[in-house]
Amino acid sequence: MEPLLVRLDQNFAGSADDFPTLLRRKGLLGPPAIVDPIPGAGLKQKGWEPTEATTILAFKFSGGVLVAGDRRATSGNTVVYDRADKVLEIDRHSIMAIAGVPATAWEMARVLEHSFQYFRRTQLQEMSVDGKVRALSKLLRDNFGFVMQGVGMVVPIFATYDSHPKPETRLYFYDAMGAQFEVTDYAATGSGSPAVRGILYYENNWGAKSLQKLNEDEAVSIALRALDTAAESDTSTGGVDRSGKVYPLIKIVSQDGITTLAETKIAAVFKQTVA
Amino acid sequence: MIEEPYRWVEAIANRREYIEAQLASGSPIAALGYRDGILFLTLGQTRQKIFEIYNRIAMGAIGHPGDIERLRMAAIELASTEGFTRSAADVSLRRLVHYSLSPVMKSAFEQVYGAPYLARMLFAEVGERPEEDLFLRVEYDGEIATSGATFAQARNDFAALSGTRQSRELMESFLKAEHAPDTSFESALRSALDAWSVGQMALQTGDTKEVPARTAVAKYRREQLTNTGIEAGILERDPSRGIRYRALLDKDLRALIHD
Repeated sequence: MEPLLVRLDQNFAGSADDFPTLLRRKGLLGPPAIVDPIPGAGLKQKGWEPTEATTILAFKFSGGVLVAGDRRATSGNTVVYDRADKVLEIDRHSIMAIAGVPATAWEMARVLEHSFQYFRRTQLQEMSVDGKVRALSKLLRDNFGFVMQGVGMVVPIFATYDSHPKPETRLYFYDAMGAQFEVTDYAATGSGSPAVRGILYYENNWGAKSLQKLNEDEAVSIALRALDTAAESDTSTGGVDRSGKVYPLIKIVSQDGITTLAETKIAAVFKQTVA
Repeated sequence: MIEEPYRWVEAIANRREYIEAQLASGSPIAALGYRDGILFLTLGQTRQKIFEIYNRIAMGAIGHPGDIERLRMAAIELASTEGFTRSAADVSLRRLVHYSLSPVMKSAFEQVYGAPYLARMLFAEVGERPEEDLFLRVEYDGEIATSGATFAQARNDFAALSGTRQSRELMESFLKAEHAPDTSFESALRSALDAWSVGQMALQTGDTKEVPARTAVAKYRREQLTNTGIEAGILERDPSRGIRYRALLDKDLRALIHD
């Protein structure tokens, strides 16, 4: 039976749980996945293969942080969907981009989004950036058992604007166990990421300008070129579907919040500098 | 003692009297619908009285801080878990108050060996259009008053909360006369400040039956504003964003008050 949602806890003690704990108390979220569900039954033989079939990237430029993701979702060799959103808004200043299993990733994004809001509403203050980064890390850690069982691997990028203590954009990438790495310039994860990392490294060091100095059009152009390159050799990355006119999803985080670039704008930059 | 029905009724009456006395000094809160949203406003800086509950729901409350806190947390918990499992659109103020808060407050109030909730709350939910805004007042005994149309009265696009019934009723008759639906933010702000003044004047003088003259209200408001801060928040109607609540700063509001 579905748990009764609308019920008030009369013994409520006054201090708020964090949101995942609240969900677990109400039976709405499963317990952290255990690494070896049937002891001795088989992880050794299995030897998990990382499946993170997609490409997402993010880098800092003069107007904030640009986060881009291709739109392809695959299952094994099959393309299941060509309009997947892998760049998700978590709150007014935070973006989580996902590579990995969509079911787990979208659920994580949903838990995260509600966690930040729940914290703000109950505690009457915004969660700090460190707190937010840690919250995502904890979700990944709780999920690691599933990763070891070969399902539910997620490797996200988290981009946000921090107004305190020093106003600046901040960018992190994670591994599947939940370790977070803050980067100064760029991050890329997913199956197409080696190619993207190569391009971004090259551009940042020997390009016409370093990434941080690019204007918006230049930044979009580099993001599109990088995704197109990744798609060239990686079947799991959609890149730009030129005939179907499906463009990557690009969002920018800055002091003013999050802007989603219009498809027409991306198309224009694409025609001018990539195609 | 309370096995006898009469004693129970007496105990409830005493309890009601006690709670009313406890709440009587609570500073008024006004909630007004306007073209682009709903404005919650009160004056005073001792402690926060206006809170965000969920995407489209906010609350103002007077009473014991501990009780307000328990009810506020419960409301946020319920709304958040439902919004998470279903969708934000499924969270409704009507259900939250009617099915969850009211029954609990009623039973706490009537179990005379336990402690009742010393709190009176005002909820509002912003709709897509002004006529869809919903205001609900919840009393310590679980009684619910709504701004919706009934046989006896037309629909109101405002609601008031105060320490005494008489103060609240004066605020309501003031707003009925002064506040037009579909008005601008500035005009809603003015009406809210004046409504607060009407309510607060009634709390201080005790026994007024009539809404004071406009000039007296304006004078009182100016006096109060010189030494007290404004606490306010809005629920924005703008459907392009999910989260509609925004707290407003005293200094930004003062810039909009001319006279």
